[in-house]
Amino acid sequence: MALRTKKDTKAKNLWIRFVQIAFIAALLAGMQLAVSKEWVSRVFLASPSQIVQEFVYMLKENTLWPHLSVSLQEVAVGYLISAVAGIGLGVLFVSFPLLEKLIDPLMAAIMAIPKTAIMPLLIVWFGIGFKSKVVLVILFCFFNILYNTVTGSKQTRTEHLKLAKVFKASRAQTVFKVLLPSALPSIFNGLRVTAATAITGVVFAEMAAAKNGLGFLLNESQAVLNTPRLYLVIIVVTVLSVLFVGLINLVERLVCRRWMPSRIA
Amino acid sequence: MPTIELRHITKEYENIDEEQTYALHDINLTVQDGEFVCVLGPSGCGKSTLLEITAGLLSQTSGEVLLDQVPQAGTSRDIGVVFQDSALFPWRSIRRNIEFGLEIAGFSREERRNKVQKTIELVGLAGFEDKYPHQLSGGMRQRAGLARTLVADPRVILMDEPFSAVDHLTRLTLQDEMIRIWEKEKKTIFFITHDVAEAVYLATRIVLLSPRPGRIQQIFDVPFERPRNRNDMELLSIVEKIYMAINNPVQSHDTEYFI
Repeated sequence: MALRTKKDTKAKNLWIRFVQIAFIAALLAGMQLAVSKEWVSRVFLASPSQIVQEFVYMLKENTLWPHLSVSLQEVAVGYLISAVAGIGLGVLFVSFPLLEKLIDPLMAAIMAIPKTAIMPLLIVWFGIGFKSKVVLVILFCFFNILYNTVTGSKQTRTEHLKLAKVFKASRAQTVFKVLLPSALPSIFNGLRVTAATAITGVVFAEMAAAKNGLGFLLNESQAVLNTPRLYLVIIVVTVLSVLFVGLINLVERLVCRRWMPSRIA
Repeated sequence: MPTIELRHITKEYENIDEEQTYALHDINLTVQDGEFVCVLGPSGCGKSTLLEITAGLLSQTSGEVLLDQVPQAGTSRDIGVVFQDSALFPWRSIRRNIEFGLEIAGFSREERRNKVQKTIELVGLAGFEDKYPHQLSGGMRQRAGLARTLVADPRVILMDEPFSAVDHLTRLTLQDEMIRIWEKEKKTIFFITHDVAEAVYLATRIVLLSPRPGRIQQIFDVPFERPRNRNDMELLSIVEKIYMAINNPVQSHDTEYFI
């Protein structure tokens, strides 16, 4: 087999990119055509131009941003609380294994409840406003971050723990200088996975009962059969999710870039 | 003056069938101040177990470890350990790895900086201070591991097959460096290896362990001046004696080795 030169690889990558873009363009053109020729009912499918029109319309009327900002706030508050509490309790569990043993069964029990099933109860407790959404986001994210912190620190290399012992490190020194840095990749995995989950949680909670937010907007658009708006909101939610995960990746790179070359490729 | 004394060290493990098996049986050894003792033995003879017990990382079933005539329980800042694969923290730069022990002991930033700089020069890592472990070769990483132990200034340094992960030529260089550092710093060194030539080149005394249970089979003095020549006839004759002892393990139940 001939050696592949750098130039060949570059040309091949360009070709792949071209095919991908062509495919998406064809798909969008197909949607446009299918809707304008009425091959498919306008209730089922919205054409790209309709979606763009709807987007421009909502921007003009300022009917998108109020909902988007509510959802963003709910996600931000819920996620931040989850991250701080999850990592914080994780540190406590790692520092005092007895505490983990004590609380672990309770945590496992709460974790086993399908979170969506708690939503009606949350509405009874916290109403249909901001609070119930934040609580659901916390239920969606907290445990994952907590367990990634704990399991990550359990993957600390035994040599590193022996080293801490040889230098007679205190418990706090061992936790903060050895265990937590070892757990960092795992903690970031937890933060990354829950970034997308948080948005799912908020949209779901707003669909269950709300007066505003993107989930509410989805329900409302469906009720009046505004299909272009449904598509638009789905796109907005997806973009949000991608951006959020991207943000976490960026933070991870800033924190770990010097010692984790393999991730940065 | 004796620095480290091992008295009747025995380590038993309970296997799955709840039978007692000996990992180490009645190890008696006295290491004098400034000695370079190599512990030699095949895999599974309990070399690493012996090192971990001496370091206080593992508890013995019976017997005592004495440092300057004081029985030890647990680890001590006077006993440093260099691990088989440097065990550097990937998230710390070389400088920050080396100063780990000083940081734990509560030295100020300035003191740490001074001490670390001197040690970095001693082990030949100048210019690599701000690199991360993954950017260094195995030999360089091992130098950093040694520097981390040296900078904390322990009386005794225990080394667990420290050069086994590097290539042969690097290994020879590291052996020479080791001798240079030992002569300069005058530390007591307890060095574990399974390489006969390495042991003979480095040691003032070689302790040969026999496996299952690990016990001291024979002790060889290597009383030659340094620098040594690896092809010196006298050194080679000791190598030969050691190979003979390994190939003809004489059961030495009634022999005692006190120095």
